[in-house]
Amino acid sequence: MKPPPFEYAAPHSLDEALALLAEHGDDAKVLAGGQSLVPLLNFRLTRPALLVDINRVEGLDGLERGRIGALVRTRRVEREAAQPLLRRAATFVGHPQIRARGTACGSVAHADPAAELPCALLALGAGVRLRSTRGERELLLDDFLVGPFSTALEPDELLLELEVPEQPAGTRVGFAEHSRIHGDFALAGAAVVARPDGLVVSLLAVAERPLRVDLPAEATADPGEAASLAVRDLEPGHRRALAEALVRRALEGAE
Amino acid sequence: MSYVGRPLARGEDERFLSGRARYLDDLHPDDLLHAAFARSLLAHARLGDLEVEAARAQPGVVAVLTAADLTDVLPPPVVEPPGMWVADAGHPILAASTARYAGEPIALVVAESRALAEDAAELVQPDYEPLQAVVDPRAAGEALTRWEKSGGDVDRAFAEADVVVARSFALPRLVAAPMETRGAIAQHDPDGGLLTVWLSFQDPHRPLDQLAHCLGRPPESIRVVLPDVGGAFGSKGAVGPEVVAVAAAALRLGRPVKWAEDRLENFLAAYQGRGLEADVELGVTRKGRLLGVRARLYADLGAYLISTTAIPMHTAAMLITGAYDIPAAEVAVVGARTNKVPTGPYRGAGRPEAAYLIERMVDEAARELGVDPVELRRRNLVRAFPHETPFGWTYDSGDYERCLDRAVELAELDRFRTEKRPGRRLGLGVGMLIERSGGNWESAVARREPDGRVVVRTGSSPHGQGHETTFAQIVADELGIEPTAVEILWGDTEAGPAGVGTFGSRSTAMGGSAVLEAARRLREEGGMEAAAVFESGLLFSSGCYAAVVEIDPETGVLEILRLAAVDDAGRIVNPLLAHGQVVGATAQGLGQALVEAVRHDESGQPLTISFVDYPLLTAWEMPELRSAFVETPSPLNPLGAKGVGEGGSIAAPVAIANAVVDALHGVSVDPPFTEAKLWEALR
Repeated sequence: MKPPPFEYAAPHSLDEALALLAEHGDDAKVLAGGQSLVPLLNFRLTRPALLVDINRVEGLDGLERGRIGALVRTRRVEREAAQPLLRRAATFVGHPQIRARGTACGSVAHADPAAELPCALLALGAGVRLRSTRGERELLLDDFLVGPFSTALEPDELLLELEVPEQPAGTRVGFAEHSRIHGDFALAGAAVVARPDGLVVSLLAVAERPLRVDLPAEATADPGEAASLAVRDLEPGHRRALAEALVRRALEGAE
Repeated sequence: MSYVGRPLARGEDERFLSGRARYLDDLHPDDLLHAAFARSLLAHARLGDLEVEAARAQPGVVAVLTAADLTDVLPPPVVEPPGMWVADAGHPILAASTARYAGEPIALVVAESRALAEDAAELVQPDYEPLQAVVDPRAAGEALTRWEKSGGDVDRAFAEADVVVARSFALPRLVAAPMETRGAIAQHDPDGGLLTVWLSFQDPHRPLDQLAHCLGRPPESIRVVLPDVGGAFGSKGAVGPEVVAVAAAALRLGRPVKWAEDRLENFLAAYQGRGLEADVELGVTRKGRLLGVRARLYADLGAYLISTTAIPMHTAAMLITGAYDIPAAEVAVVGARTNKVPTGPYRGAGRPEAAYLIERMVDEAARELGVDPVELRRRNLVRAFPHETPFGWTYDSGDYERCLDRAVELAELDRFRTEKRPGRRLGLGVGMLIERSGGNWESAVARREPDGRVVVRTGSSPHGQGHETTFAQIVADELGIEPTAVEILWGDTEAGPAGVGTFGSRSTAMGGSAVLEAARRLREEGGMEAAAVFESGLLFSSGCYAAVVEIDPETGVLEILRLAAVDDAGRIVNPLLAHGQVVGATAQGLGQALVEAVRHDESGQPLTISFVDYPLLTAWEMPELRSAFVETPSPLNPLGAKGVGEGGSIAAPVAIANAVVDALHGVSVDPPFTEAKLWEALR
């Protein structure tokens, strides 16, 4: 379980990092927290020629209202994020040691369908800001997440930051998931954002990417009914039953 | 004042908890080389020409060895249980023309670092000609072992039975998953000719004999040394092919070679536990008397036999009558050859399988007869000792009914029985356990030092059990000194006396008794040094576990509301350490019940190769454990002690299983009891 040979670069500036990505494209991988990438390397399931370690790049660790930079660790999201749904969802990510290294942007870029933060961010209508030497673009997370471990990120782009929109006054949020073992990948999970103008449910580990379901605001009044509506397009079976129970639980616990 | 019986804290913990323990991978002899293995990618394939030149040409690579280089090395010897037919199918050190499981070693790469060795090992690739893989033990065309045994008048028992209950069961394979994986360092001294092998192993003497056999060297030309060992649970009691290959490489290269197994290798290539399917029949009278049991066992042995592969199924078959006075029994055992890594002992090693079969059957019989399962047990427990089973094992002592009563009380089964009502998926279960332990012999040498300390060398060797503490307690009592004045040494075949080994819950009863007798002789004879060998027949620990569970009908999630553990391990030397054994064994037993299962696809590819695919329980998942001891001394050793290391892994799974099936109103399911499986069973 040693990684295959690779070159390693640790640029100090964003421009240097982007230049390396532009030069090496598909042959390069960005190393931030490494909590997904390093195990993949050790299993030799990915073989980048170059690792671009961005941990020394200045200015990527900003966590302000509505913005989460590329080097913000999950542990900081859990403790400091303004949005309570993100704080709550972050507590379910792995173990404290993993959260201390892993980053929120890294989780979004990795796009594991069972990951908590992409699911919660999707329910919040979050966006991503991508930067390359060619310039900058913004996408809604809904457009960024393509499938399992697959996103709209181009090989020369860096996921610079997450943009989390302000929710209207009176919005309540909730999160629930079930995993066999504490800290393990969830079998299913649900984030709910109950806004005055509508209920957004986002489900993890039930589809190839987090699944967003929009329901009318009135649905909030009956969590059981809302839950059954939220999962109605899923294949019947245990996972749907589990997801339904978790939506209801997330909604009942929403605050 | 006596130290035996007191909950002394472990003296060795300061070393472990402060990070001063030294494990195999902490050892760095001068000039050390590192090994990595090229392993078969397929579960069953004919191997064409092996391309090794590319690997040999890699930077830092010192040697690449294949089967052609090791023609003078033999597979490890196979232990044959009494009466069992065992095939000549020892584990090749490196696969020659055929690979029989995914992960089987094909070539050994030795390089200046493990990373360089892995890079080169990747380049060693044979031409594979895929062959059909056997995954299902029931469908296997080839047997590695066969055995039939009958005791008592089985035909009459089933003729007289009013009810014959027949059920089939399946217990998946498990990985032992010790925190420290396997490993070896071998170093040859060309002057004296001594081959020193440091091992992460359960004990030093068995591997010495196995290595002598494989390498064709006299035992006295080999020295085995064990550093601190980070857990084994049965999985470090037989040398695997990797250890032999590393020793052979060190002999050829004249430099020390280290193999520190990584977790991926441990999942792929360390021998696994359980893996048993069974068809069982139990003959019962209307009044609830168990008359006879018949079982056909299909053990998923894997591709080869390692030294101890044949033992667990023998133990499982021998214990098929469990804690009950069943006069007749018959077993037929087929050890099926499958395209998987071999199996071997894992905590319990046949005892959990036996307990699972007979205890599930007793519950099935109770359901069929409409009697309370606790009551049915009470009517059939062994009560008179010594008790000879139909297969000829003699239970030395016990008070099984007291264990049952105590477990029922601790788990509050009577209260929960009244809380069962429609709509609530509450289930109650108990499981009795018989833990064959001890037997054979151990030795010890006690010596007085000029400063008043007593140094005891023991052939018994710890890998987490706490020998330094318990053995010191025994010596302190015998000599009237403080336990801190006793030093226990072990783990070096040059420095210590001979020994059998640390397995099957035998250290306290056998090693401890040898230590006791050496200390007694030192006192009585008044010299500076005294030695003792202690020998005895098998001991049989017992106990009862009880559980109350509830299944959420909406999600299938299982919750354990009560779990009680009552163990009778004879006289307890150190209640704190005994309790630790109960907690640890129960945690592993719960893992088996709730989440653990090795899985393969139909081509024999292992699907569980990391802790992501094969979870282990954490402290979070542990329910409150209500533990108690019943102490019925064994008449067979001066301590009155028996084994306590396996009870939880034997009885906790079946207590949970019986509770789960109760909650499912009799729908039969086998572990692991995952949410999806229970949800389906409720539909």
